[in-house]
Amino acid sequence: MKMKKFINAPENLTDELLDGLALAHSDLIERGDENMIINKKLADADRVTIVTQGGAGHEPAISGFVGDGMVDISVVGDIFAAPGPQACLDAIKLADKGRGVLYIVLNHAGDMLTGNLTMKQVKKQGLDVIKVVTQEDIANASRSNAEDRRGLVGCIPTYKIAGAAAAEGKSLEEVAEIARRFADNMATLAVAVRGATHPSTGALLSDLGEDEMEIGMGQHGEEGGGRQPLKTADETAEIMVKALVNDIGIKPGEKVMLIINGSGATTLMEQLLVYRAAVRILKEMDIEVVANYVGELLTVQETAGFQMFLARMDDELLRLWDAPCETPYMKK
Amino acid sequence: MGLDQTDIKRMISCAADRMAEKTGYLGDIDSHFGDGDHGLTIGRIAALMKERAAAWDEGDIAGFLDDLGTGIMEIRGGSAGPLYGTMVAGLGADLGENETDLDTEAVRRMFSGCLSEMKDLTTARVGDKTMMDALIPAVEAARTAQGGAGQIFEAAAEAAEAGAESTKNFVSKFGRARNYGDRTIGTPDAGAVSTALFFRGLSDGARSAK
Repeated sequence: MKMKKFINAPENLTDELLDGLALAHSDLIERGDENMIINKKLADADRVTIVTQGGAGHEPAISGFVGDGMVDISVVGDIFAAPGPQACLDAIKLADKGRGVLYIVLNHAGDMLTGNLTMKQVKKQGLDVIKVVTQEDIANASRSNAEDRRGLVGCIPTYKIAGAAAAEGKSLEEVAEIARRFADNMATLAVAVRGATHPSTGALLSDLGEDEMEIGMGQHGEEGGGRQPLKTADETAEIMVKALVNDIGIKPGEKVMLIINGSGATTLMEQLLVYRAAVRILKEMDIEVVANYVGELLTVQETAGFQMFLARMDDELLRLWDAPCETPYMKK
Repeated sequence: MGLDQTDIKRMISCAADRMAEKTGYLGDIDSHFGDGDHGLTIGRIAALMKERAAAWDEGDIAGFLDDLGTGIMEIRGGSAGPLYGTMVAGLGADLGENETDLDTEAVRRMFSGCLSEMKDLTTARVGDKTMMDALIPAVEAARTAQGGAGQIFEAAAEAAEAGAESTKNFVSKFGRARNYGDRTIGTPDAGAVSTALFFRGLSDGARSAK
């Protein structure tokens, strides 16, 4: 597959996309040094603040969720690549308003290295920071080996819930406890029918056959097993819902958040079909969907497929999910 | 039989040359099960090493290695920046601020400090198919090698090369490649290969040390 993308020089991709994002949403965010996207209202914040980091190429994640009620600063690396620890340390210092900083890191090799190196400096300098890792891909490791689970779309609702908790004036320990409670009770499964091309190198990130789908594909087309002939929306939803419910251990009578996250090239039509099926299957299991999102939150270029996300909800988490926020790609 | 600022400067520069020569090959082996960007990243790291070595006029060896490592950590391109940055800074981690002439005991401390910093950062060990497959044998060889600084770095380079070669036989346990399991057998780990090039270059530069 030859790459057909509207880009300029590949080495300027990240810089140009962040410029575009900041221009398109200049009322909410601004660009900082070292590939930072900053909440314009950060200057006036008197609360716990939220910093995250990650690669580019997953738009609208992660920087599209910088703004009031979610992330205060995102530190962006390069396409699919983590930023360095100095940039993250600088962001944490910039974000710190004297109430402490919640630092959210997705479990990917490069992000974890940067997260660990950043926390080493944070401790050396005596800064008040708690790191929370999102790791919810159930495909490649069991729940007891959570450190091997990759961080997928679950970072986005985690930002929302942590951001709302911070906005309520909770302490850093409380915000971290809430974020962890949510993250510990979430799970994601990805399915893909066609991989993406790396926008800088043009390399194809998967080799799925014409009539195949793969359940358990990670963020960048990492293979997690589960190749099988393509199934219908209903059949696919059933496999995925059951795996997620089983993983979290959700019981009849419980309430959940359900997200269908398009990976880039799967249509909203298909996502809605899958959502419909998932709600029906959950209802049959006497599980109520009290929070949802259908659409693209975290994409991987033109990957065709989606991530299904499920999380156990309680009254406090639901209140925080429903609380106001104003970011480029999520407004409540 | 020690190393001074001029020697370290030359060693870093030689290491950069060795790495820069092979960026195409590194990119190629990384593209099998990784992003294919390791060659690109190593090219950027080598360029920074070359530039900083050339610009290094004064200051202590530990400070130089620490600054260089911090600079490398910020290079974009995934895990290689933080890992290489820690490895380079680690070479100076156990050196005192005023150590300007490194005897063989100090040279051995460069290796032990480097390994200890890397072990803080990653749980990868020999057999996991990462750069640690080159680094750990290199440190072990440096610990037991006889002779002066030149011989110590030569022993480290040889052990790193053997370690990198051995990664062909291993299944990837870290990074994106781990998801490909047994299919990774037969291809060496790009990070281990570049680490061997790094130590080979250091040895090139150390050979002419006094």
